Amino acid sequence: MSAPSTASVKGDHFSLFGLSRKLWIEMSALEKKFLELSWKLHPDKFVNASAEEQETSLKGSSQLNDAYRVLRDPVARVEYLLEIEGMRKEGEHKQQAPPELLEEVFELNESLDELREAKASGRDLGALKSRLESEEKNFQEKLGEVDAQLQEAARQWDAAIDAKAGDSDRKAIMVRLNEMLNRRSYIRNLVTNVQKELQ
Amino acid sequence: MAYSDKVVDHYNNPRNVGSLPKEDPNVGTGLVGAPECGDVMKLQMKINPDTNVIEEAKFKTFGCGSAIASSSLATEWVKGKTVEEALSIKNTDIVRELSLPPVKIHCSVLAEDAIKAAIGDWKKKHGVEVPVAEKAAH
Repeated sequence: MSAPSTASVKGDHFSLFGLSRKLWIEMSALEKKFLELSWKLHPDKFVNASAEEQETSLKGSSQLNDAYRVLRDPVARVEYLLEIEGMRKEGEHKQQAPPELLEEVFELNESLDELREAKASGRDLGALKSRLESEEKNFQEKLGEVDAQLQEAARQWDAAIDAKAGDSDRKAIMVRLNEMLNRRSYIRNLVTNVQKELQ
Repeated sequence: MAYSDKVVDHYNNPRNVGSLPKEDPNVGTGLVGAPECGDVMKLQMKINPDTNVIEEAKFKTFGCGSAIASSSLATEWVKGKTVEEALSIKNTDIVRELSLPPVKIHCSVLAEDAIKAAIGDWKKKHGVEVPVAEKAAH
């Protein structure tokens, strides 16, 4: 990279950290690199520089912070990868709800409805709450399963990068990653809703 | 964003809320969901096997006003129609009737999917091949 003394930053979050687009990232190395780059780009170092350089340092710092936040989080990292690989376009969500979950999702919503009604009418909530708690636990387990599957697909992605796999192989893995992200966010939202009501 | 009068009307006075016995061989159940908003929609219809006429339709939807209005309207529309007529209902018809804004179009898609799913379930119970799939094959 021909980065001169100025704080110019280009490219995606991975390349900013000198990483290839692999999903497994060594956290301690990432943090070290972050501190190193932060220091290099820190606006304090540019107080006597030209306005242009100050501006670049500021932009670079904020991009660095964004990149670090995204890469540190394993789920955000996958979302970001799919975005820069052109798999997840903003506002273009023709996604499928996981069909085998719908039955349980529907029941969960019915329980939530009952709980809201019971709350409003001051009825006893004990039995309803324990039912919802067990339904919540059920979905928490599903969340754990999705996370495990997501990790597995991430490993496959890395292996494909290492093996310099062709576009169609990579695409197939990305489709799976995307599916799992959708599932995950769907279940995640459900769990959040239940927790809100149970409070 | 303001809802149209028709959406508000369906939301405040939803038609045909409820359920039909799932095990009834003449009842088709469609359960569909939208991942982006977490909506779930259940649409059921009781179909006369001799005439193919939809005699009864019920729904229950967990979701936003537009999703509820779309499914409420769908039950109103399918009642009294034959299976074939019901299958020709397009989500764009619902969008037009309810004046749904672009961000709520997926609610109407959900309602169309629910109609198709319910009829598909009924056909499966009667061992009828789903003609929609046949058409798509060639």
